Amino acid sequence: MPVISLFAWMLVIAFLAFIACMFEDLESDIGSQSNPNSQIQLAPEMGYIHRYFNKAISGEGLSYALSCTISGTIAMLILLQFESVGPKAAILAIPVGAAVGSLVHMVRSSTCHVGREAAHKRFEQPIYLDVFYGHLLPIATHNFMAVICITAIAYIQCNLGILSGVTGASNPFPLPLLCLIWGLTVGAIGSSTGDIHYGTERAFQDKPFGEGRRVVYHGQICRYGDCGVRTSKDVASFCAKFGGPATGLAFGLIVLFENWRTVIGMLLGGLSIEGLANPAVAATWGIGIGVVIAIVLVILARTLEKWARNKYGPFVGE
Amino acid sequence: MEPITLLLVLVCIIIGGLLSSLAVHLMPVGGAPAAMSTATGIATGCVMLMTGAAVTGLFTASTVASFWATKPSVILVALSGAVGSMLMMGFTMFVANLIYIFGAGIVPCSGRVAVDPITKESQTEYKTPRTDGHGVPTASFVSGILGGFSGGFGGALIYVMLVSDSYAHFSVATAGIVAMGIFIANAIIAAYNIGGTIEGFHDPKFKARIRTGLTCSLIVSALCGVIVVIAMLTGTLVGGVM
Amino acid sequence: MGEEEAKQAKQEEKEEKAKPKEEFRLSFDYFNESRLGIFALTICVLIAIFPGLPAFIKGIGIMIVFAWGADSVRKTARYGLGTGVPSIGVLAMGFGIIGGITGIAVASMSFGTLVVGGVEIAFGVLAGVALLALLGFVSGNLANGDKFINMKIPGLERGMTELGIAGTLAVLIEISIVVGTYDPAKVLPNVINNGLIAAIFIISAFGMLQPYNTCLGADERRARTLLMSIEIGGIASIILGIATTLTLSAVQGVPLIVLGAVVWVVFYRAYMKACMDEAYAVKGTGLIKTLGG
Repeated sequence: MPVISLFAWMLVIAFLAFIACMFEDLESDIGSQSNPNSQIQLAPEMGYIHRYFNKAISGEGLSYALSCTISGTIAMLILLQFESVGPKAAILAIPVGAAVGSLVHMVRSSTCHVGREAAHKRFEQPIYLDVFYGHLLPIATHNFMAVICITAIAYIQCNLGILSGVTGASNPFPLPLLCLIWGLTVGAIGSSTGDIHYGTERAFQDKPFGEGRRVVYHGQICRYGDCGVRTSKDVASFCAKFGGPATGLAFGLIVLFENWRTVIGMLLGGLSIEGLANPAVAATWGIGIGVVIAIVLVILARTLEKWARNKYGPFVGE
Repeated sequence: MEPITLLLVLVCIIIGGLLSSLAVHLMPVGGAPAAMSTATGIATGCVMLMTGAAVTGLFTASTVASFWATKPSVILVALSGAVGSMLMMGFTMFVANLIYIFGAGIVPCSGRVAVDPITKESQTEYKTPRTDGHGVPTASFVSGILGGFSGGFGGALIYVMLVSDSYAHFSVATAGIVAMGIFIANAIIAAYNIGGTIEGFHDPKFKARIRTGLTCSLIVSALCGVIVVIAMLTGTLVGGVM
Repeated sequence: MGEEEAKQAKQEEKEEKAKPKEEFRLSFDYFNESRLGIFALTICVLIAIFPGLPAFIKGIGIMIVFAWGADSVRKTARYGLGTGVPSIGVLAMGFGIIGGITGIAVASMSFGTLVVGGVEIAFGVLAGVALLALLGFVSGNLANGDKFINMKIPGLERGMTELGIAGTLAVLIEISIVVGTYDPAKVLPNVINNGLIAAIFIISAFGMLQPYNTCLGADERRARTLLMSIEIGGIASIILGIATTLTLSAVQGVPLIVLGAVVWVVFYRAYMKACMDEAYAVKGTGLIKTLGG
């Protein structure tokens, strides 16, 4: 039975990871963080005055590492205070930690918008106060969703032994360090996959579909929405249809298969409630399954590329 | 502590540093232009991507290292970390390609070489003019997978040497954060060596710069290793509970 | 014409508004890059070697060290690194973690810490600082050397040396805030094994990398940028203050939280005001100006 609950917790973690990375990507789109930020930054220099929010805290990986680690630290301190209550204290600790984390994130993003726009003085880019105030809350709420999921993942992973009843299933890292690890990873994935949908498609929606954005287009972002002038909030609704969920899928799959191969390895290594009988066998099976998954991925990627080449054909146009 | 243990830790830190530097050079990194489909590769900076991949590997490595009550097997833990990073890179690149193909209607192709060295397929006619390629073509995908493997192996190797009770015997968290520190130092020096974007092992830039990158990484990780060995010599950081 | 006049009037108004802040600007002008470096190095080394100081003095120490680190990041990243600005701040903290832990290990040796009249003087931590200065210098030379990476950034050697020192000092001072000593028997359980080191790592990295990354642009101004590093120091003080209250004592922690809160409010307001004043215009709302019209 405990072994089955180990699998159940693994699925909970994968589900939380999916939610976390989806909201992470949407949050970064709301503020044009990370890579598309280069276009938002470049636009006024090209004469394209815009009403986007310019959230250049740092790369997404680091800024998520910040809010998740602060959340994890606060949660860890609360858990230490209520050690006598046991795992129930997490019901208080995780949301409070995440709230503090997203509050810090909101403060950091508020400084970014004014800082970057003030540095655009000579390009006549004003600070629109409605853009500034109107984006802070969506940023904080999306960030909260992402951070609470990451903190919950970290909490589950470092208490897995107690939660599932299998000795030795917990990760040895402390809660804030796990939050740092997953914060860095979630940000790295969010910026490397989700940004494509925003940067290539949404920011240049008035340019031809199906081609790379040429260097001459850079900075010439699409500034008008369905009705009126576009702000960064409008980006989230577009990216929520494909970019966000796809990004969530990436992180969810990573977390799922990382844990899955480890747990399968542990089962083959003779897992029981007392712990592992044969660690070397467990580790070897985990490595073997991982290598097989990687090979399958290469084949899948190759198939996908071939399909796209045949279906879309060579570049047409000038 | 015996001199041979210290020497082994030093050597493993150097090997780990070299592997992480190699990994950064192997990453198909497009930086910010890749998010606009103006450059081939993954749409983020080398440092962030590599650190993300390496810490995923570190997470798996720490789980696997805790399988053993004492004396974890160095090679198995390092390989687990390597496979963890490899999977992270694999899924990220695969989903990135999904978005390139279905979200933006773009065929992945390389901008630096005319023919993909793995599939032997021509790239030039698929490339949008006045861009530096777009998407993650097969050669870059394989390069990224190899890079993830090498980086994860390096990071996890440093971690397991520091945490194992037969070597440095630091506490788990100390070993984790120090391994991250050494990894980051190496990855950033390597990122400066690349200076922007690289497509993978087939990129002409790779051949031109890898030697410099590895030399720098050798010096930096040797110094880091010496500093860590000094910390080990004091013997006060011991007390890790596996 | 009318518009022109209005603009001029606005400009004048702005200048008038800016006048009371003159004093503040002068102070950052006085602390130019070299002076700030020397000042921060002296003060922070003094704070770092006396772990028995009250926590709020160390809180001031981390603000100074953040300002110095941010200044070094600004100095080096100004010329373009080829990858994001944040990388060099993370590099500083990657160095800082290695140096901090080594410094603590050396300070715990019998020769590492002197006790004079009940006051603990931890000279050993300076070993970590010195080693990381060396490492930073070597990396700077590797990155800038003709035979190596050849980044051609003026002053990169000095910048990386400073970042190595600043990162190490930040880690050391923050550890000494939370534990009040460098004894590994206390540092290991209270800072490292419970994971607080992760928070120290990332907040210090932000104190150094965020100011320049956030204020980057054609009209970036040094004094404005550095205001933000002190503001992040305020947030760091609040969070470390909470940790200190819960792990060490409320006597140390509460003044630190108060200091952090006051510094944060003052410098956040100053920074926001400076940005709003110096922006091209601050509008409640409005449509964008279209090209050519």
